[in-house]
Amino acid sequence: MSVAQDAALRENPFHSLQEEQTRLRMRLQELQQLKRELRNFPQDQDPFPMPEVPLVFRGHTQQNREVPKSVVSNLQICYPLPGGSALVTFDDPKVANQVLQQKEHKIDLEECRLRVQVQPLELPMVTTIQVSSQKSSRRVLVSGFPANLKLNEEELLDKLEIFFGKTKNGGGDVETRELLHGGVMLGFAKDEVVQNLCRIGQFTVPLGGQQFPLQVSPYMSGEIQKAEIRSQPVPKSVLVLNIPDVLDGPELQDILQIHFQKPTRGGGEVETLTVVPPGERGLAIFTAQSS
Amino acid sequence: MAAGEDNKNQIHKEFWQDEEFWRDKLKQRLVDEMVKENIELKMEIQKLEAELQEATGNSEIKEDIPEMKMKFTALENPENDSQYLNISCSFQVSSQVPYELQKGEALITFEEEEVAQNVIRLGKHNVNIMDRTVEVVAKPVLLKPGVRFQVHAEVSKMKINVTEIPDELPANQMRDKLELSFCKSRNGGGEVESVEYDKEAGSAVITFVETGVVDKILKKKDYPLYINQDCFRVVVSPYIETHLKKFQVFSGISKKTVLLTGMEELQMMDGEVVEDLISIHFQREKNGGGEVDMVKISLNQPCVAYFQE
Repeated sequence: MSVAQDAALRENPFHSLQEEQTRLRMRLQELQQLKRELRNFPQDQDPFPMPEVPLVFRGHTQQNREVPKSVVSNLQICYPLPGGSALVTFDDPKVANQVLQQKEHKIDLEECRLRVQVQPLELPMVTTIQVSSQKSSRRVLVSGFPANLKLNEEELLDKLEIFFGKTKNGGGDVETRELLHGGVMLGFAKDEVVQNLCRIGQFTVPLGGQQFPLQVSPYMSGEIQKAEIRSQPVPKSVLVLNIPDVLDGPELQDILQIHFQKPTRGGGEVETLTVVPPGERGLAIFTAQSS
Repeated sequence: MAAGEDNKNQIHKEFWQDEEFWRDKLKQRLVDEMVKENIELKMEIQKLEAELQEATGNSEIKEDIPEMKMKFTALENPENDSQYLNISCSFQVSSQVPYELQKGEALITFEEEEVAQNVIRLGKHNVNIMDRTVEVVAKPVLLKPGVRFQVHAEVSKMKINVTEIPDELPANQMRDKLELSFCKSRNGGGEVESVEYDKEAGSAVITFVETGVVDKILKKKDYPLYINQDCFRVVVSPYIETHLKKFQVFSGISKKTVLLTGMEELQMMDGEVVEDLISIHFQREKNGGGEVDMVKISLNQPCVAYFQE
């Protein structure tokens, strides 16, 4: 290698470091400018109205600086079941395991035999979630609704969409709408509409024959940054598939129950048995078991 | 003189090597300094970003969902076709709002809102703690904003993700090859509705006509892709969509829990004993109180209390 090339190679780390430093200094300047702007426009720092949710202290404390755990509730999984299938839940997970030892089960009927497949049931569960939130440029929060408003969800959302969809009211095309706890989120097609509405702030809106004063403020919207999903087995349950179209619903239920309760067939006490007859479909709902 | 020349050459060489040595040393020092400067810049940037995040109200929530046992509760028959195309998982997340209790402060939760408001209205309370009377001040609790939202995850029964697709063919041809390979039922495939292929990323999303094909294919982690005479193993994984609903930042307001201050002097005492005495005092109607749900005092070190719905 020539001396010149050698020197260039040795200079390289220096070059890339210099480039990095230039980038970092620019980013730092950017952030310092943003900080100055925030200080010069204190109205941005005014806490905008947020719906109030009553909270209570029930004794949860932490001595150290650990990140608090959020409360997770209403966990529900909807599992579609195809026609010609059944969901069998046994009292004892060991029985379920035994039943699963055979992939195919032959169910004896008077004149013939039904061949069905069994397989374990696995449900997708979210194990980690990471959400970031920031002020939305396209959405607003409408609040100030009286407690005894006599409109249902659809009616309320429709009336708000009509009112805030009109340019003469300072609004514009509404793209999304959602009822929240103590407020309504409206999403618009244009940033300018949002800026305009937030600037005006107070509106008198006709809702169900009366006029009500409502407030419009910026909306903090959330976005999922990361979500991890894992398959969780349901130890006491078994999926029965490919049930041939030979029997009616109630008869099929009985036949299956008898078969899966037979210890000679590896079965045992059945807690629940749900059948989706061939040609139909169903949605099995699972909820979190309270311990 | 040859020897002299040699000598000069030697010294010259040594000098030259020394110069190189020192030049390298200098370069290394400059590189090291630059690395240090860059690290410092990065730290300052991180600090400013956090400050701006707090000021503008942007926040991040990271949550590990504890494992919960699921139980079959019902079989439904909704009209909506789309509900049969995915296995969906949904849940509600509500942040627990923290409140830092300082030394000498306590939180007391009453059963009734009116009692709590009355205690605050009365302001000063003279509470008998053992051998002395402490002037306790009751105040409302000022809470930071919290966040609540619903998480919806949908695992498709009709689509799968395919990755590690080799970059062997132009996009159109590869799309065809993918369709041909994934419709072979002997490999677990089925009739393909559509193929979305990203040549640059080497990935694709395959939509099948029937449900059930996805389950068969996902029994294994890979799948054979045939390109002319060669067979490549591409990676298959579930196609999952996640989204948030009803995302809302809210202002927590404490109606039943009251902040009690002014008990710094009780530092030496047993926390539980003081809590019981406070509870007894505020249970008495004649003291302006009522049914007490719970009391928590922080005597020797600040502690963080969590408020929930």
